[in-house]
Amino acid sequence: MATSPSTERRTAAGLLWTPFAALIKLIDLPMRAVQRLIGERRMAYVFLLPNLLFFSLFVFVPLIVNVVFSVTGGAALFPSERPFVGTGQYAYLFDCGSFLDPNSCREDHFWRGVANTARFTLFQVVAMVLFSLVTAVVLNMRIKARGFFRAVYFFPVLLSPVVVALTWKWILQRDGLLNAGITALGGERILFFVDPSWAMFWAVFVSIWAHMGFYTLILLAGLQAIPADLYEAAEMDATPRWRAFWCITLPLLWPNMVVVIVLALIKGVQTFDEVFVLTGGGPGTATLMVVQYIYETAFSNQVQNFGLAAAASVVLGVVLFTLTLAQLAASRRKDA
Amino acid sequence: MAQLTLSGITKSFGTTTVIHGVDLKVEDGEFVVFVGPSGCGKSTLLRIIAGLEEVTSGMIAIDGEDVSRLPASERGLAMVFQSYALYPHMSVYKNMAFALENMGLKTPDIDQRVRRAATMLRLTDYLDRKPKALSGGQRQRVAIGRAIVRDPKIFLFDEPLSNLDAELRVATRKELAGLHAELGGTMIYVTHDQVEAMTLADRIVVLQGGRIEQIGTPLDLYNAPDNLFVAGFIGSPRMNLLPARISGPGTVAVGEDGQVVETGIVAPLKPGATVTLGIRPEHIALAKNGEAGLTMTIDLVERLGGESYLYGSAPGLPQITVRLDGQTSHGRGDSVTIRLPIAHQHVFNEAGKAMGRQ
Ligand SMILES: Nc1ncnc2c1ncn2[C@@H]1O[C@H](COP(=O)(O)OP(=O)(O)OP(=O)(O)O)[C@@H](O)[C@H]1O
Ligand SMILES: [Mg+2]
Repeated sequence: MATSPSTERRTAAGLLWTPFAALIKLIDLPMRAVQRLIGERRMAYVFLLPNLLFFSLFVFVPLIVNVVFSVTGGAALFPSERPFVGTGQYAYLFDCGSFLDPNSCREDHFWRGVANTARFTLFQVVAMVLFSLVTAVVLNMRIKARGFFRAVYFFPVLLSPVVVALTWKWILQRDGLLNAGITALGGERILFFVDPSWAMFWAVFVSIWAHMGFYTLILLAGLQAIPADLYEAAEMDATPRWRAFWCITLPLLWPNMVVVIVLALIKGVQTFDEVFVLTGGGPGTATLMVVQYIYETAFSNQVQNFGLAAAASVVLGVVLFTLTLAQLAASRRKDA
Repeated sequence: MAQLTLSGITKSFGTTTVIHGVDLKVEDGEFVVFVGPSGCGKSTLLRIIAGLEEVTSGMIAIDGEDVSRLPASERGLAMVFQSYALYPHMSVYKNMAFALENMGLKTPDIDQRVRRAATMLRLTDYLDRKPKALSGGQRQRVAIGRAIVRDPKIFLFDEPLSNLDAELRVATRKELAGLHAELGGTMIYVTHDQVEAMTLADRIVVLQGGRIEQIGTPLDLYNAPDNLFVAGFIGSPRMNLLPARISGPGTVAVGEDGQVVETGIVAPLKPGATVTLGIRPEHIALAKNGEAGLTMTIDLVERLGGESYLYGSAPGLPQITVRLDGQTSHGRGDSVTIRLPIAHQHVFNEAGKAMGRQ
């Protein structure tokens, strides 16, 4: 009797299945014993354990090591060889005449990074929310080729930040695409990476371009969750368009907006790779971000000052932790 | 309050036409109900009147003025949606006040109107609540309140009661009838429930497949359905519709065994022509001893105390429903003869049109 294709397929699947089933049996045996020992309800923790181990190894332990580094000094790598300095690194970091003027600080680079990051984040968040809101509203309309546009706007999110930065650098540099266009039109070439304002502008711009799709998606999902009949009711109520947007769309979209704002804030504070690749933090320190400061203090200056970098990391960590709490609170309110 | 005229309304979505030329005149202050099976185009027609859908061709006129091309917001109508479509983030008060704010009314004016509607709809205690914290019936009343405060030219209702449980539906139905009596506005109401249609309407418009089957008062439709569809649709339980053949002057033969039943009609049908004999369950009586009639076997008896339903069968006929007043001693398996009074018979020709009586 000839075997039909379907039995063949079943055999092929069986071939794969057999070792898998054996493996499961093998795991099953000790697991059963464990379950009998600790009870069914506590088994959940057993299943959570493997990931918890990895999390500890790569996140939790480094976190603690980082804190330990931040209270020690010297250039040695191993904590045991590092002298304890207490809050010395923090005191050094925070030794400022005025916190508003980086020049009055002993560690002026750090504070310049803080100021730059704050400025960058502020512009970025405001512009990001505006642009992604407008984009989401437009993409939510019944326009032709909507799916295509949605894909186009989301596409940059899939790119590596380094690729994004390199692409834009190629466009913006002295002999780049943009300047070629400007000179072709008879204009003066602009040295975007030499002018501090231009450099900051493009850093914000590229970052928005790269991440906007993600936030647009969140807002689009929120817009689509608003029932269409509310707008029909509003139309019957003779509601002007702007008022429908202001009184219906915005309030119902607000939970998503909060998520977008907080996520963009967190992302802004963490910014490093794309700006670093695009401008290298320059000109001078005009686009130096906190994370870049930390990276350079620890790994690329002649003196590798792990302690100071670790202290700065802790400060940054506290800021991010606060923002994350805000995000959790916001998303919890959204679910409620 | 206003009068509405629809002339030659058609509507197509792409290549499918769902409304095929509807003509209708709704008088000032009239309560008109659109009724018909699911998918017949009731909602579409209502949304066309509202301005939420554009007509493909035809004209909508309110008080004689062509509004076919006006957007919904400029037609001055109010609509109560099946889903209620309350603004979820606004209080009951704000939901009702929203449209008034759009009209640019002054705050004291708005307040007065909202409170009057709230009193009328027993919502005064809930004005500060969000829709989420209301029961289905309360939400429903807010939706109605939102329409009332605006004092619209015409009220449009799209199956407003279908999300309520049976008991509440009956109660709200009565309230709506009361509201219409009190407000006296022109109302157009969509439902697929013929009992709602019968109880609420001044006039009923029966729709099927995007066409009007018949327009008339509830009793017109009940007493003189124009065609088989209306006959089967209006009345509960359904009218018995028995396939028959003209067998002679004033008689038809029904069923496989050709039982002869007297009818009033003849002309212009020739003997042998296929017809449908219709009679409502409540008009059938049991024949007394020796009286002629149609013989059937009882399959099921439902005893409700005040009334009884017999469900019977005869060879080649669909199930026959008989409604009897009071209680009956007949049971399953009994053979009974039923009388079909000529005065209550409806005869439909092969095309399903009602034939005149003689
Ligand atoms: N936007 C649309 N696009 C395409 N076809 C539609 C659209 N809206 C309605 N239809 C079609 O038009 C017909 C009538 O729909 P309509 O909603 O008016 O029915 P209805 O009588 O209100 O039914 P129900 O009692 O189920 O609410 C249906 O066949 C439906 O599929
Ligand atoms: Mg409908």
